[in-house]
Amino acid sequence: MLEVPANIYPWLKGIVGLVLIGALFGFGMFAIWVERKLSADIQERHGPNRVGPRGIFQLVADAIKLFTKEEIIPAKVDRILYISAPIVILLSVFLMLVAIPVGAVYVNGTEYVLAATQMDISILYIEAVSAIAIIGTFVLGYGQNNKYAMMGTFRNFAQMVGYEIPLGLTIVSVAIMSGTLDVVGIVHAQDRIWYAFLQPIGFIVFFIAMMIDMGRLPFDQNEGEEELQAGVFTEYSSMRFGLGFFAEYFHLILGSFLIALLFLGGWNVPGFVTDNTVLGVILPTVVLVTKATLVMAFIIMMRWAVPRYRIDQVVDLSWKKLLPFSLLNLGWAIALGLYLGV
Amino acid sequence: MDTNIGPDEMLIHMGPHHIAQPGPFRLNVKLKGETVQDSDVEMGFIHKGIEKILESKTYLQGIPVVDRACYLAALTNEEAFVGCVEKLAGIEPTERSQYIRVIVEELSRIQSHLLGYGEYTEFIGFMTMFFYPMTVREKILDLLEMTTGARITHSYLRFGGVRDDLPEGFEAKCKEAFALLRRGLEEWGELMKSDTIYRERTVGVGVLTPDTAKEMGVTGPPLRATGVDFDIRKDEPYLVYDDLDFKVCTETAGDVYARIWVRVAEIYESMYIIEQALDQMPSGPLFPENLPYDRRAPVMRVPEGEVFHRVEDPRGEMGMYMVSDGSDKPYRVKIRGPVFPTMQAMPPLIKDSQLADVVAIVGSLDPCVSEADR
Repeated sequence: MLEVPANIYPWLKGIVGLVLIGALFGFGMFAIWVERKLSADIQERHGPNRVGPRGIFQLVADAIKLFTKEEIIPAKVDRILYISAPIVILLSVFLMLVAIPVGAVYVNGTEYVLAATQMDISILYIEAVSAIAIIGTFVLGYGQNNKYAMMGTFRNFAQMVGYEIPLGLTIVSVAIMSGTLDVVGIVHAQDRIWYAFLQPIGFIVFFIAMMIDMGRLPFDQNEGEEELQAGVFTEYSSMRFGLGFFAEYFHLILGSFLIALLFLGGWNVPGFVTDNTVLGVILPTVVLVTKATLVMAFIIMMRWAVPRYRIDQVVDLSWKKLLPFSLLNLGWAIALGLYLGV
Repeated sequence: MDTNIGPDEMLIHMGPHHIAQPGPFRLNVKLKGETVQDSDVEMGFIHKGIEKILESKTYLQGIPVVDRACYLAALTNEEAFVGCVEKLAGIEPTERSQYIRVIVEELSRIQSHLLGYGEYTEFIGFMTMFFYPMTVREKILDLLEMTTGARITHSYLRFGGVRDDLPEGFEAKCKEAFALLRRGLEEWGELMKSDTIYRERTVGVGVLTPDTAKEMGVTGPPLRATGVDFDIRKDEPYLVYDDLDFKVCTETAGDVYARIWVRVAEIYESMYIIEQALDQMPSGPLFPENLPYDRRAPVMRVPEGEVFHRVEDPRGEMGMYMVSDGSDKPYRVKIRGPVFPTMQAMPPLIKDSQLADVVAIVGSLDPCVSEADR
């Protein structure tokens, strides 16, 4: 049997924190590759296939390109805001990352959660810091001195006012049913049955609201490529554009993890318990990452399968459909929670 | 447009280099929030002076020049130009070459509509639907390339006939491509009809009334989508369209959704026309016997006179007015293209719509800016 020293946990946290940032960048590049390959598949193209096997090194080439390109800062921008805005957006993503567990390790029957930090209100914290991104977006749109960017920012605000409440309410429903605001607790509460089955309405509402939050295609009005050039990123170039670009994909990844954690049972496989040491170390993380990747692939495919909503239609959807349904789900969660006695 | 803006208004320009534009023109839009208050269209960014160039070219040299007016309707442009000269010189093309002309012009209509369809879906953010029509369009372009030797600018029509006969194996390849296209159209039609977001974005958006359309001189699919069954192939038949069976495709709603379906229906009709033409096509020479010019040294003097000849372009009525002073060059050619009138219908159409709909409406009109600027 493996002997685990008692003081390993703080060390583990530190290592996990460092590894997580690197892993996020790696996973972000993987997400971009998946997106390009999947979209090519859907559109009857080949996608990247020249650089490395199946074009996997295309991402490296792209990253080098982004880093080495000249950065053009337009004359009349507010320089401080212009320079700091992508950093603020990325910061919000990293703050989210801090509290999101990406897996777990079972050693000698004890669970060690792979998260940089564990707090008993982690889901509330995640929800709160993810809203910081909107400040970044505002700074982004305001600092560029560009009409298209400003319009994109306004659209982002309109979206945010719409989706935050349904998103919050579905999280509250989950918290009510599990009796905790801790993501780890929520995962443990799904030992027997996933919340996606217990709260189907909540799952769908959360999914759609999360997609608006991520700004994926039916809801990417803030970029609105066709009418607003590049929307909020109109005047950005080089790696500063790359930061915003990566932030979007990080958001996609973390959102997929959240969906997997809150509604798809996290690292649990229902009805599967093992005493095997090796499996206990590897399996939970693999399960969670697989779930998150599948969710991510679904969201990516969604992007290429539908046209874009108009911004007023998104606001309509948020207020007239998502909000009532999330309230309904809240009632359902309370009733079912009382009935099940959890 | 009044450029004085209120405190809550914003002037925004789309173009001349804007992602959602088929060519360089500028749309100045006054916005209140996201709602369009007023707009105007600025054109002339790619004025090529085609009408003036034609005056210094011999008649035969004029054919490649009119090709360049619109890169998507080169063959119908040629038809208008060649038709004018034939009327002036009194040349009657042989029946076989008339059939060949019908076939290539309908092929050209199909590829133009396919591009219009694909481009339009891209404008509303449906990137995937852009690739499907483009893949099949390649097959249609292959057919054109096989016949004329070029994919875009063909210079294939000649006074009294066509340059070359249809190549061997054309019919078989045609059938193959049409089978693919039919299957594709059905699939895409299902996809678009069943998509809620697509319907929400298009139904009832940018409604053009028949009266406005007539007032502005709008022709082609945008006019037919309002319920007016005006089609020059039917109303003023040229070539052998009289002998062919086809119907004029109309819709009644006049919105973006209807305009797209008119185009799709026209693709079906064009395929039907081509299939008939291939069946009915007689054998025989490509050129009549008493040509007034030598095909090896093609300089001809066209009798004095004035003539107007119009044909049905993929985008509407394409007419040319030609004045000849008896020399070997036209004295004056005036092109009445379908796109310029269509573009002047834009400002009233996009008034009071949302910014995102502006793109959808402009895309659904399928303007070829190159042709409007000439």
